[in-house]
Amino acid sequence: MIKVWRNDDDARREDAAAWVVRLEAGDLGEAEAVAFDAWLSASAENAAAFDDALAVSQAYAAAAGPVARELSERRAPAAPVGRRAVIGVGAVAAAAAIAVLVAPQLAGPQTETYVTAKGERRTVQLADGSMVDLNGGTRLSVRFGREARHVVLAEGQAVFDVTHDARRPFLVAAGDRTVRVVGTQFDVRRLGGKVSVTVARGAVEVRPAQGATGKAYRLHPGQKLDHVEGESGARIAAAEPSEILGWRSGRLVYRQQPLSEVIADLNQQFATPIRIEDADLAATPISGVLVLDDQSAVIRRLALLVPIQAVRSGPDVILRRDAASDRP
Amino acid sequence: MSLVTDPKPPRRGPTDPLLEIYLERRANLVRFFAARSGSTAAAEDLAQELYVKLATRDQAVTAENPVALIYRIATNVMLDRARGEARAVARDAAWRRVAHASEGGEDVADEAPADEAVASRQRLRQLVDAVGDLPPQMQRAFRLHKLEGRSHAETAQAMGLSVKSVEKHISAALKALTAKLGR
Repeated sequence: MIKVWRNDDDARREDAAAWVVRLEAGDLGEAEAVAFDAWLSASAENAAAFDDALAVSQAYAAAAGPVARELSERRAPAAPVGRRAVIGVGAVAAAAAIAVLVAPQLAGPQTETYVTAKGERRTVQLADGSMVDLNGGTRLSVRFGREARHVVLAEGQAVFDVTHDARRPFLVAAGDRTVRVVGTQFDVRRLGGKVSVTVARGAVEVRPAQGATGKAYRLHPGQKLDHVEGESGARIAAAEPSEILGWRSGRLVYRQQPLSEVIADLNQQFATPIRIEDADLAATPISGVLVLDDQSAVIRRLALLVPIQAVRSGPDVILRRDAASDRP
Repeated sequence: MSLVTDPKPPRRGPTDPLLEIYLERRANLVRFFAARSGSTAAAEDLAQELYVKLATRDQAVTAENPVALIYRIATNVMLDRARGEARAVARDAAWRRVAHASEGGEDVADEAPADEAVASRQRLRQLVDAVGDLPPQMQRAFRLHKLEGRSHAETAQAMGLSVKSVEKHISAALKALTAKLGR
């Protein structure tokens, strides 16, 4: 019995590898594509085996250079020195991050406020050369002092591309959290009592604002911190920065985020507010990409990811669970 | 699904049979795109693009085999993306040059949630060991194609084999590597 199962497993692994190689070659015909679809649909194990083989293939694609170097050095007689150099790459990259640049001192502090309307996106260059992309419905003020560069994100979402200045840290206050930066690119979001920070480049530190409780965290590229205002905890998870920063090109990407968060994002984009009254529906996890064009088209696409119905109620749009979807 | 926000009823809702088939197969299509594009993140995007293409297609176009039609359009979406990509890469590079990418210093360290450097070194070692254990022909085909970026045809030429045999070697290599490294 066990043997039969093993054989099945082995054959499946063989099929999965063959399909990955066929697809990656890029010259798959229509008939083959249909056969591929049928094979995937035949069993959940087939799909899982495919995912496995694809993940391994992509791991090699991502590390092709270092793996190839290591392999050729293993063969060469003078391997130890060369291999050490390759293994040390991570450490060298970390050391290179400790670069120090000094920017000229700027004139006395002066507060500038930037506001975007719903659906409006704006890029502003600050006095120190830092760039800020503001998402719709965002209010942000900037004050550059002698000791530090202060930004207050009162509401909304922005991506900061910060000019390095070791003498004057760049501080972003979002609710009861402060993000401290030396030079980096990152996204801060403050909506509905929740603060999120995602780092694309460099490193930032997120610490409780004065009077608030909780730990300080240092975030590295590909990490996202989520915090509920008023609580002391925070959750750190891996995130794809290009997805989180996707709103700048009119694209929202979600991986298992609650529908309520999707709606909060959409409400930054469109004048007509969307509401959900059903708490279960609000908590439904959403995965997918939403292209932001017009509101009804976006809601229509959202309805493909979760069974919903949009009903106009006075000035608002209310989302409800689509009753038809409950019936088989 | 009723949409009061839209003054006109949607031209095609998910009652369109082709869209129904798309929805049933969405997970398969995401896998198709992930393998073709080499990126899971891009795959979600491409699946969405495919949906838009299907929803706005000329309905006069019908197909005997709707699954084949969906995959044909999916292939076109892939090719369109590949053409657009060259432009995007150039644009990104230009942006990065302008956007002064100076990295942050390490002056304040309270807590590092994960030591990713150690984990990635271990992972690299596993990847290298697994390839090193492959039989010679399989290993050579895999290295030339996957690690050095040669096409199947170029690998076949370098090894003096047929393209078909090279594909077999690469598949067998991936199978062995997955058995060793996969979940």
